[in-house]
Amino acid sequence: VAHCPRFSAQTLSVLAALCADPSLWRHGYSIARDTGLKSGTLYPILIRLADRDLMEASWEDEQPAGRPRRHLYRLTPGGLATARAALAQNPAPAPVRPPAGRPARRRIAVRGAL
Amino acid sequence: MSALTRAMGALLRRLAVLLPAHRREWAEALAAEAAEVPPGAQRLAWLAGGLRLAAGQARLGRRVGWSLAFGAAAMGTAWSGWGGAPADPAVLVNRVDVIVIVVILAGLPLAVRRLFGPVRDSAPARIGRAVGYAAIFALVLVKAVVQRFAYVPPNTGAVTGVAWTGEILFLAAMAAYASGILAVTARRPPAAPATLSVGTAAGAAIGLVIYVLGPLGYPLRFAGAWPAGLYDAALALAVVAGLAVTVATGRTAVRRAARQAGPLAAADPARQGAMAGLCAGATAALLISVLSTGTIALLPHEAGLLQWAMAHLGATSIFGRGTQHAYEVNNSVYAAGYFLVLVLFPVLGSGIAAWGGFGAAGPPGRPRQGPGRGCPLAPGPAQLDADHRAA
Repeated sequence: VAHCPRFSAQTLSVLAALCADPSLWRHGYSIARDTGLKSGTLYPILIRLADRDLMEASWEDEQPAGRPRRHLYRLTPGGLATARAALAQNPAPAPVRPPAGRPARRRIAVRGAL
Repeated sequence: MSALTRAMGALLRRLAVLLPAHRREWAEALAAEAAEVPPGAQRLAWLAGGLRLAAGQARLGRRVGWSLAFGAAAMGTAWSGWGGAPADPAVLVNRVDVIVIVVILAGLPLAVRRLFGPVRDSAPARIGRAVGYAAIFALVLVKAVVQRFAYVPPNTGAVTGVAWTGEILFLAAMAAYASGILAVTARRPPAAPATLSVGTAAGAAIGLVIYVLGPLGYPLRFAGAWPAGLYDAALALAVVAGLAVTVATGRTAVRRAARQAGPLAAADPARQGAMAGLCAGATAALLISVLSTGTIALLPHEAGLLQWAMAHLGATSIFGRGTQHAYEVNNSVYAAGYFLVLVLFPVLGSGIAAWGGFGAAGPPGRPRQGPGRGCPLAPGPAQLDADHRAA
């Protein structure tokens, strides 16, 4: 049984966005668009999720043309189980739109050591 | 608008440099994402959120608040201790005290940080550091007040010139206390946090009891038989209780350290006990010195008034028929005796609590049951830090 800590409504909306396609690496602005959260609210949530080992983060492997490399996020297996348990208990996060694309990625660093 | 956006982006990148390494990439990520956000108000809002994130992660508000509080305390101490005629030896001593203490308290964090790390990210550690610094400033302040009487030429009699050796020893003691305060509230303290909190709590209790029983640093003398007997009994009880509490501090510290920091802490009970006792002794000494010297400084400098008050409280005179200055000088010179308290209390506390901690360890070679209910020893923050560094 996954441990199910208490999450705020904003955190639940982020978890819902990341749960929509758990294998997909998402970037911050796409999560912000899906959840409607502002960057000053979204990033502290992402940091806390990574600190608790619920989410992993990595930079894009290659330098894309015309824009900086993105920092990408997805749930860890433990995070996915926790998110699903939390969302099952609180099934009313902000509506989630399907992400637009799958960015190229290479894991450079994994955050999440508590 | 675009100029403002560029300026905010540049500011965000500058702020990111201030962040710890494990947080910096989050601010960099947010700055990188700004290119995706539609230009105009949306991008500005995105960058404003980034600035808020970076400021929060850099603890800018806390740093600014700490700096302002430190500056205010330093200025207040300087304002109170600076005044007087330049020819007065007390003024010279007070000015030297203020300058050296401000330099010590401002500079030591940089040195201690290299050994023990920055302040621990917990409210008790931050409050403990602020209270400790405030106590040192307060001690310098009240010392400046009583020194004005101690160095008044017509009353000092035997006191001639400035006792610079004593001043240097006092400043060295303050530097040691400041170092201790910084070390025990740092991220890598010299002992388990549980040990230090037990010692600090015990020291505060002991210090308060000693101050209540002798607010001027020496036993009161009551006129009536039964108040005098009651007071003597309370004094004797306080001595026994103080020793017992110090021993218990060592024992409790060893047990709590084993529970919090795991077998590494339990394996060295004498050290944990000694650290708890050192903390207790230092806390008690600082508290007694500040409160008692402060009481001497704040007492009405009017011998007749105090004589009247003491008579109505049922106590005998604590000074003879001397002048107002004689009373003030007596107490002011007595305040210098607190230097001995500042030195001896930590040493005594350390020795007694080390003995208590060693007694709590049990026979050597037999592993202790940490949590006390048969649970395995859980790794505490210190162990996790050690594991992290080893990894």
